[in-house]
Amino acid sequence: MTEQMKIKINGQEYGANPGDTILDVVRRHDIDHIPTLCHDPKLPPYGSCYLCVVEIEGLEKLVPSCSSPVAPGMAISTDNERIRESRKTALELLLSNHYADCLGPCTQTCPAGVDVQGYIALMSMGRYREAVELIKEKNPLPLVCGRVCVRECESACRRNLVDDRVGIDYLKRYAADVDIENPWTPDVPKRNGKRVAVVGGGPAGLTCAYFLTLKGYGVTLFESSPKLGGMLRYGIPEYRLPKALLDREIKWITDLGVEVKTGVSLGKDFSLESLKTGFDATFLALGAQKAKTMGIADEGQTEGIIGGADFLRAMQTEDPPKIYGTVVVMGGGNTAIDAARTSLRTGADKVVVLYRRTMKEMPAHQMEIDAAAEEGVEMRFLSAPLSIISKNGRLEALRCIRMELGEPDASGRRSPVPVKGSEYDLPCAFAISAIGQDIDLGTIDEESGLAVTRQKAIKAGKTSFATSIPGVFAGGDVITGPAVAIDAIAHGRQAAFAIDEYVRKGSTTSADKEFISRKEAFGEIPESAFAEVRRIEKERMAELPAAERIKGQAEVEVGFSEGQVMNETGRCLECGCSAYFDCDLRKYATVFGVDINKFAGDARKHRVDGSHPLIALDPNKCINCGRCVRTCSEILKVSALGFVYRGFKSVVKPSMEKPLLETTCISCGNCIDACPTGAITEKMPFRKPGPWAFKEVESLCAFCSLGCNLSYRVFHDGLFTVSNVNGASHNKGYLCTKGRFGYRYMLEKDRPLKPMIRKKGEWHESTWDEALDLAARKLTAIANASGADSIAVLASPTLTNEELYLLQKFVRTGLKSNNIGSFTNLARGSEQDGLDRMFGMTVSTATMDDLGKADVILVVNADLSEEHLIAGLKVKAAQKTGARLVTVSSSEIPLVKSSDLWIDGKRGTTTALISGVCEAIIEKGLEQKKFIETRTEGYEAFKSSIARLDPGLVAEITGVKREKLLALFDLVSDPKTNVVVVYGIDSLWEKSKNDLQALGNLLMLSGRVGKPGNGIILLRDFANSQGLLDMGVDPGYLPGHIRANDAGRIEELGKLWGVDLQSVFKPVDLKDAMEKDRIKGLIVFGEDPLSVTSNLKLTSGAEFMVVVDSFMTATASEAQVFLPASLPIETEGTFTACDRRVQRTTRVFAPRSGRENREILAALAEKMHIPLAPKKGPDIEKEIRKAVPLYGKLAKEGFWGKGLFEHTFMTATGKGEFALYQDDVTPQRGEKGRYLFGDNYFSLEIGSKLMP
Amino acid sequence: MKTIKVGLGTCGVSAGGDKTYEAIKYEIEQQSIQATVKETGCNGMCYREPLMEVIDEDLKSYLYGEVTPERVKRIMTEHVLNGTPVDEWIVQGGMPTEDDLFLKKQKRIVLRNCGIIDPNSIEEYMAVGGYQAIQKVLKEYSPDRVIEAIIASGLRGRGGGGFLTGVKWRFCRQSPGTIKYIICNADEGDPGAFMDRSTLEGDPHSVLEGMMICAYAIGAEEGYIYARAEYPKAVQRLKDAIRNLLAKGFLGKGIFGSNTNFSIKIKEGAGAFVCGEETALIASIEGKRGMPRFRPPFPAQSGLWGKPTNINNVETYANVPWIIVNGPEAFSSMGTENSKGSKVFALAGKILRGGLAEVPMGITINEIVHEIGGGIKGGKKFKAVQMGGPSGGCIPASMGDLQIDYQQINKTGAIMGSGGLVVMDETTCMVDMAKFFLRFTQDESCGKCTFCRVGTKRMLEILERITDGKGQEGDVELLRHLAYQIRNNTICGLGQTAPNPVLTTLKYFPEEYEAHIKHKKCPAHSCPALLTYSIREEACKGCMACAKACPVEAVSGEKKKVHAIDQALCIRCGKCFETCKFDAVLKD
Repeated sequence: MTEQMKIKINGQEYGANPGDTILDVVRRHDIDHIPTLCHDPKLPPYGSCYLCVVEIEGLEKLVPSCSSPVAPGMAISTDNERIRESRKTALELLLSNHYADCLGPCTQTCPAGVDVQGYIALMSMGRYREAVELIKEKNPLPLVCGRVCVRECESACRRNLVDDRVGIDYLKRYAADVDIENPWTPDVPKRNGKRVAVVGGGPAGLTCAYFLTLKGYGVTLFESSPKLGGMLRYGIPEYRLPKALLDREIKWITDLGVEVKTGVSLGKDFSLESLKTGFDATFLALGAQKAKTMGIADEGQTEGIIGGADFLRAMQTEDPPKIYGTVVVMGGGNTAIDAARTSLRTGADKVVVLYRRTMKEMPAHQMEIDAAAEEGVEMRFLSAPLSIISKNGRLEALRCIRMELGEPDASGRRSPVPVKGSEYDLPCAFAISAIGQDIDLGTIDEESGLAVTRQKAIKAGKTSFATSIPGVFAGGDVITGPAVAIDAIAHGRQAAFAIDEYVRKGSTTSADKEFISRKEAFGEIPESAFAEVRRIEKERMAELPAAERIKGQAEVEVGFSEGQVMNETGRCLECGCSAYFDCDLRKYATVFGVDINKFAGDARKHRVDGSHPLIALDPNKCINCGRCVRTCSEILKVSALGFVYRGFKSVVKPSMEKPLLETTCISCGNCIDACPTGAITEKMPFRKPGPWAFKEVESLCAFCSLGCNLSYRVFHDGLFTVSNVNGASHNKGYLCTKGRFGYRYMLEKDRPLKPMIRKKGEWHESTWDEALDLAARKLTAIANASGADSIAVLASPTLTNEELYLLQKFVRTGLKSNNIGSFTNLARGSEQDGLDRMFGMTVSTATMDDLGKADVILVVNADLSEEHLIAGLKVKAAQKTGARLVTVSSSEIPLVKSSDLWIDGKRGTTTALISGVCEAIIEKGLEQKKFIETRTEGYEAFKSSIARLDPGLVAEITGVKREKLLALFDLVSDPKTNVVVVYGIDSLWEKSKNDLQALGNLLMLSGRVGKPGNGIILLRDFANSQGLLDMGVDPGYLPGHIRANDAGRIEELGKLWGVDLQSVFKPVDLKDAMEKDRIKGLIVFGEDPLSVTSNLKLTSGAEFMVVVDSFMTATASEAQVFLPASLPIETEGTFTACDRRVQRTTRVFAPRSGRENREILAALAEKMHIPLAPKKGPDIEKEIRKAVPLYGKLAKEGFWGKGLFEHTFMTATGKGEFALYQDDVTPQRGEKGRYLFGDNYFSLEIGSKLMP
Repeated sequence: MKTIKVGLGTCGVSAGGDKTYEAIKYEIEQQSIQATVKETGCNGMCYREPLMEVIDEDLKSYLYGEVTPERVKRIMTEHVLNGTPVDEWIVQGGMPTEDDLFLKKQKRIVLRNCGIIDPNSIEEYMAVGGYQAIQKVLKEYSPDRVIEAIIASGLRGRGGGGFLTGVKWRFCRQSPGTIKYIICNADEGDPGAFMDRSTLEGDPHSVLEGMMICAYAIGAEEGYIYARAEYPKAVQRLKDAIRNLLAKGFLGKGIFGSNTNFSIKIKEGAGAFVCGEETALIASIEGKRGMPRFRPPFPAQSGLWGKPTNINNVETYANVPWIIVNGPEAFSSMGTENSKGSKVFALAGKILRGGLAEVPMGITINEIVHEIGGGIKGGKKFKAVQMGGPSGGCIPASMGDLQIDYQQINKTGAIMGSGGLVVMDETTCMVDMAKFFLRFTQDESCGKCTFCRVGTKRMLEILERITDGKGQEGDVELLRHLAYQIRNNTICGLGQTAPNPVLTTLKYFPEEYEAHIKHKKCPAHSCPALLTYSIREEACKGCMACAKACPVEAVSGEKKKVHAIDQALCIRCGKCFETCKFDAVLKD
């Protein structure tokens, strides 16, 4: 359609249509990304969030573009300072009442931003490798950090408000310990030709080198010491961090391709200037390793006085100092404790830690202090050294003085004040001053002109890490002074990003800060908020006994057991939002640089509603956009959700504020996709919910026959959920419960993944070879003994077209039998051939999209709300645009409520009812004479057969009130009225014998075949019920609906297959053959007939049964061989929907059992020496196109798989029409449709009444 | 025989009018007085209720005010029985009174029958010319001519928007569709406004007749009255009136013998202020949550059940029959260039004569306050008026010569609104006043639009901290920022006008905000948190009265000695100030 008016947007002219909103035009022409939270293109404009405001020339106010219609000549700006200000304010207001955490406090607090909640969730499922992969997105040294980290995450852990923090660091260590044995290794991209020099091999340098390598840089790591590791190696004692482990983690990094030069010092062996040649950038991570001096006379000249850092470093050298006697360690930090405990382990008789203040003020980790005390370290508080007492330059004792605590100093700690006259001497052989470290730049700064602070720290940008020299970056202790490993790691990573940007663009910009909402912004969180959380004791880390420890350098902490890991992961409260990775509110808050405190004030605090098993409601995160409410009420007509209260207090909650589970909720989950924030989320089917980043893979629902598109959210291998996608199919972003949540069976951990053989009643796992061998041998033997007809194959309508095609080909060309069918069809006596004699084949003649063109929709024998919800939505949507809905149902199914007319006839009277409609049409003279004459036969006889069915008689037969019947006649008799019939062909509950034929008669009589907006949709129960027939998985049909009387086509197909089909394709009553025990060997592919025990009589005759299934079903447990099938998400192929769209289902994961179904069949065929071709997907498709002419059309147009029938036929006869249904059924294709009726046509309904 | 009328509108009843009525009937019986007693609606003099009118045989009328049951006996005996009016209680009639001024400057069109006829009697309405207009229209006017007449009269919607009524009708008439609706908005929600209630209670038929004329003009066969459930009396009167109309065959098929059909349904609202907004009101009638939606489409294009719908309020409809009977020129001859006719105001606040006054457009604020209203109570200084309820704004006394005219009032930042007029004197704190009205709108926000839902809450919190003495540098700027954002970024009138009280007080009384924020003082001595009470030593007699009254023992001192107030203990309750007989407690 050409656009009828011109409007100006951002100075450019664009076409627009009357009725368009500004947003419509902007999106259609892709002019700008206008943010919006409340707008859902599937719903009428609402306009409440005011994020999408734009400026219209001549209007004083901004207007919401989502709900403002265009007018000719309008001039619009979509972005300027005023608009941005307004959008920002809207977000700031929304977030001022958004009592929620985007991330858990653990991740927020971690300097490196490691996704703690994410990896704990992975660990809770035993996925340690993925956990390590996630950790290494931010921190490549988990083996180290899992031992030595200061654990700010744990201090911040909300679990502190319940009982005790989660042992995050121990968990991380466990994952890292497991993984290092066979470590996860990232893909290193091709080198980009750029080189970076990293000076300093400590945590900052290693991390920077790691991330630069992952970005394709060639990195050379310069280290002045003999080995890499920096303070990790030279500052942390062995018993806390075994150096063998450190070496492994370092090697894992350098093995990625980092060039390492050790024993070379900046300033001595090379200069910053010299790095300019050969390197595009330099990162300085020199650390702060020089021990601070105490400032006591003779300190430097007395033997026995050592700096703490120097002492620890010396212990890592080949020639460590000999320690004996009493060692006094001065200081209260971790280095002091490390020095004290190391001394104990290296020969000291006694170790005293001397600290000026009290234990409370000690900066060392409490756990370390306790461990030291346990090992026998004496703590002497409120004491400080005054002077050295030495003899011949050798330390004899320290003169100390006692202190008391005075006023708090600038750091907030009370400063120690000497107590006059309290001096005393402390004899000792060694005094270690562990009061801190200094940065040692030597003369680097002077030589290069590098700007430094007064403390000689290199000046560098907080987020850019750029120094005063272009191209030179610095991070870690050398810019901050002594800090902790995780800070250095954080610097290393951020600097790598900055360096990358510098090298690519020549400059660095400080990265945009991601918006993170946190509950603390709304005030302190009271413990009472967690009153209902069950207390669980924290897992304690096992340690070596103290006496054992001090004997050597063995690692003190022995690590968690897997059981402890499971318990401890269970303690995580999952504070972070499960919508973290797809929250629009957060996304826009980041874009607009929102200040969460700008409008700080009251915030509403709600209880989270966790009553529903699948859907979690957190009203704290609700922004009142109403998308869920509108979806639930306007699209689904369920109204389980609504607004409660008014004004500031208003919020979306289940109706009447009941728990969601107690409302009218039908658990379809469409509200989850409607919600732009984390207020409505899926309860994840995992032990812990994550969340994790995901990739979306579009695919197809594998449940019913509607062929809805869906999207797999793939987190990790085998970890996925389902969400809606606005795909090419008709469901347009809506799913039913089965589609939305039914995928969970595929996550089942306990499904059998190995083939199994039953020996003496017991199942034994076997190899594929063994199982297939056995199956082939037995089946061949049976065929040899009892004939080809003694073997049958049953295939499920949930298999793909490709699988089904190959299966029947296997039977007909390989086994030379016609014993192929689907138990589902055999057993139910489905009407799958109900229209064959009338139309040539039994298929839908209308598409789901025809519903939108219908004036009247007649639903017969179908409970859309229960079985085919999405079809129900299409019907309701059609009603909105004027269609009227007639439901024919004896019981008051939910659809009745929204019906315009309910024909509540007695069960089994539908044939009479529909025939009555036919009679009424004829009576009014509204039958389509030309259509009848040219395209049908047998009309006159049919006409006379129903002549007596006047409204009075129909009313009597059906029990439907006469007025209702007349209303129905009025609705459908006018030939200009478009009528679509929706018929549940697989449903049995309302059915009488000839209902489908009666409907066929009606369609022909009124000329409603092959006319857009008219026809019949046959709803089926399984994803590929239609494909099953199209592929000829039925003793009655060859592929392409070829029946036994069509010799020409049989021969044609025989030629294609290179077999004599005439001799094979013989009518057979498979059910009867099974019941009469004529079937001795059975292959059951994906079906479970024995879930109904009475069906045992069908299989009881089989001597040997092979079952291919994903689960150990009732049928499988009666088999002799079980072969594990691939799941839909592990299978490539196509399904044909009930309205015959052919769509591709996507293989997301490799089959966990190792084989796709097609491969299983191929292997079996091979073992049976049956040549079965083709093997590859594209080749099978090619052959199907040849074998099934209707599918051949797809090939001609170049569409297959993801492309739909729709596209194909759009090109054939014009937009939006399914030509197929117009010309492939009989009344349209040159042959004539036949009216069907017979002697007992109405017998079920009326018995003797009609008959004379 | 004399006729006695007693005002039994809601205002009359709440002042005890029903007891007065009973007392009159009792006296008639006891003293066997020959007189007819009738009830009537409110004549506007709410400040004098209960009102009792005695009409002599010569049709001379005497209106007595504040007629408590105790006063009834004397009036009945001396006046009704013996023919001697009780002069000292007469507020109107007989001789000139102060109260004459209340009515002198009024021009009663909407209230033409209120307080005069018995609202329960369709006959009385017809006796004063009721239902002449509709019959004239049905016989002589084409629908377009009706619309032309309404356009010519210059009548504007009295609900607040001030849109030209006739033009609105024409939009609806011209909208395609065979089914159309009209709605009478009787969801009067402004605090302190009761024009519509009084009209419905005093003269329901004038509204119904106006609706009939409108329905005929636009081609609607069904009308709804959306009335507040809090107006039981008005709803009852409407129901009775509709029943009477039906009994006479004046409603339903073929009204007044024409071939025009019209029926009226009453829908009682649940008391949400926002349901006075057209689209929310429609949603509410449809049974949905009362939430406004974006316009266009306007109700005239797509309203109730998606059909073209015309909505006017009670006062607008009540004007219509008068315009038809007296001609559009008679209406347009009153008022200013673009504001014609009269407007009913509900006078409230620190004014001497509070009540309903219908004044010709063009009258000045000073005339209303000082002449009709009799000036400020207690001789205090006139400071400002708040016009238009919570959606309106304040106009300072210095602009008292402003004429009542849609455009002129809009220029001040206030609006005509539905006619609430609250008078403030020097003791009213303007920040507190803005807070009061904002709290109302904030409470009544439906919660749909971000800016109204959260923004008004944040503005209110800022005002609260300012009046609590916790105002911060930058608060005024933040208020302005939010106010403009809210005005521009909300769907309906509620949100768009909610900041008006704040914006106008910021405009006219910036110094009061500054005093609160910077100096932590309330110039009107009204915000408790900002007051300090101290003892004026020269006046203190040392009587201990204030010390005894103080609930927190902040007053120290001994008998006969000057007291002192400990500011650290004082909770600023003002008990000492109220107790002191010697003006020795200083409030500052």
